[in-house]
Amino acid sequence: MRILLAEDELVLCDQIKKVLVAEGRIVDVANDGQEACFLGTTEPYDMIILDLGLPVRDGISVLREWRSAGVATPVLILTARDGWSDRVDGLDAGADDYLTKPFHLPELAARVRATLRRSSGRSNPLFQQGGLVFDTRHGRATVNGVPVDLTSQEVAVLSYLIHNSGRLISRTELSEHIYEYDGDRDSNTIAVFINRLRKKLGPDLIQTVRGRGYMIDAP
Amino acid sequence: MLSLRQRAWISGGVSALVSMAVGILLLYTFLNERESDRFDRALTERHTQVVVALSYAVDDPARLAELLFDPQYQTPFSGRYWQVTSPDGQSFASGSLLGASLPGGDTAQAVLELRDATDPDIEEVRIAAQRITLEDGNAWVVAVAESLAQLKTDRRNLRQSLGAAFALVAAIGLASVLFQTAAIIRPLDRLRRDVAQRWDHDEALSAAEYPEEVAPLVGDINTLLARNREIVSRSRRQAADLAHALKTPSAILRNELSVLAERSQDMGKALDALDRVDAQLARSLARLRTANTGETVQAKTDLSHSVHRFQRLFGMMADREGKTLTVACEPGLAVRMDAQDLEEVLGNLLDNALKWCRTRLSLTAQKRKGGIEVVVEDDGPGIPESDRAEAMRSGTRLDTSKPGTGLGLAIASDLLQAYGAVLVLEDSPGLGGLAVRVTLPSQGVRGPRMG
Repeated sequence: MRILLAEDELVLCDQIKKVLVAEGRIVDVANDGQEACFLGTTEPYDMIILDLGLPVRDGISVLREWRSAGVATPVLILTARDGWSDRVDGLDAGADDYLTKPFHLPELAARVRATLRRSSGRSNPLFQQGGLVFDTRHGRATVNGVPVDLTSQEVAVLSYLIHNSGRLISRTELSEHIYEYDGDRDSNTIAVFINRLRKKLGPDLIQTVRGRGYMIDAP
Repeated sequence: MLSLRQRAWISGGVSALVSMAVGILLLYTFLNERESDRFDRALTERHTQVVVALSYAVDDPARLAELLFDPQYQTPFSGRYWQVTSPDGQSFASGSLLGASLPGGDTAQAVLELRDATDPDIEEVRIAAQRITLEDGNAWVVAVAESLAQLKTDRRNLRQSLGAAFALVAAIGLASVLFQTAAIIRPLDRLRRDVAQRWDHDEALSAAEYPEEVAPLVGDINTLLARNREIVSRSRRQAADLAHALKTPSAILRNELSVLAERSQDMGKALDALDRVDAQLARSLARLRTANTGETVQAKTDLSHSVHRFQRLFGMMADREGKTLTVACEPGLAVRMDAQDLEEVLGNLLDNALKWCRTRLSLTAQKRKGGIEVVVEDDGPGIPESDRAEAMRSGTRLDTSKPGTGLGLAIASDLLQAYGAVLVLEDSPGLGGLAVRVTLPSQGVRGPRMG
């Protein structure tokens, strides 16, 4: 799952990014409103974390622009403002959730998981199919109760397919959601990740539709 | 201090009374003198008649009564008399005297003399008397008299009609004072109403709609209002900047400490200290916020709109926690409160209710006699009556088992206080938990009428 993090405070940005990456998310960072607006409009993020107090352009106006441009990506707002009016303004502008500073990182991570889960229409954080149990909260997988060691890129591919289970995902779409903005996107490596996942989790989980992409059946 | 209207009434009344008194005095004196002159001239003419008659009848004064033919001279005590005294002291008089004599009518100077006299028989009269020396060298005293009764009646009538006329003039004067006062005060009255109700029209007053004497005042009021708005928004911005400037580093510190704690280093003391910093920061920011209400700006806010905004926010939050929010709000409710202050109150009350309720919370807003009543209820544990006063004090947390600053009710209560509104804690009859009842100022003009 690829997330845009728009936050101008570099240290905080770094801390948030670390937590999200540890859970297998791909994180792009924007440090001002203009950059955030551009990335949010042009890149297919699965979620956006938006600080309202961004320099150059404030968060609310960026959010409004996304929504009026048809960007439906779920947005979690971060704000240092106490006022309730600010929070409601944020939701009215199209945000899905908000978190006020100072917050605890585990709380932020939980909100991100909940938001992603809601957007995929799933209420259960655990994905089960055959012998596989995948915990979307931590990106951990077990097969018949035995923990399976997955690399962060494998987690990224698996979570994206599971979040969109029942839907055919093209290689391009998959690569857009598992690589960072300036990452080296080679759609051939996708096939490598899929192969490794099949080896680790069993051959039947991920189906290949030749020439079109991959799919995991809905549970 | 006397009101402008009272001043105008008093000065108008006094000037009307003074001009009435002076007018009556001058006019009465003038008319009275004219009347007295006419009276004296008529008396003198009658005296001349008697003298002329005497010159014809000097040989037989008894014929005088025939020569002076005036019915009043014949009617007893008619009020018109004559009397002639011969050189040898013999007296001849009009029939009207009926044997009486004019007081002092038998002696006189050589020049005509007019005087008032009183006699038991003929009462008050004015006498004209003169000693006349005829061609034969004999001196006769000729006196005529006229009763003053008629003159006095005339004077009284004059006084009465003058009084009536001037009372009418004074009444008109007073009425015009009232009218003028009303006309002059009206723009001030309107200004006052406009200032109090400007939230109905929004923003600045138009100086062009007022007379030139009041227009500068309107300009000053506009400046003051703009300044008030600016102060409020600037302080809010400063508070927001301060919050941002302090909370981000605090968040960073907390995260670093948490990472260290995960590496099993004891960060308990540091995290405690940071908790204290955050709590103090939250309290100070809340205090800044409540000290800085938009009360002076007196804006009008669409309560129904704000309620629906919060219905969306808290409906969503309640939904995620498996709780139910019910909202009942009449459409088109407006309150005389700054929008941010209103939303701060609503947000804190709903936040508190959501935090403490088991499964249900509700918000109702409806028009009441004293304003607009907003009630937020929940089905949580409620607050015992003995703890309620404590719950509204800043920074008091009755139960630390739930996260939060414990400032919600206190902030709402403090904000409402600035508007003269009160927050009441009760038992919720419907849901069984706490009910927070608030009566918000709706519309209307504060303060007494001018004048």
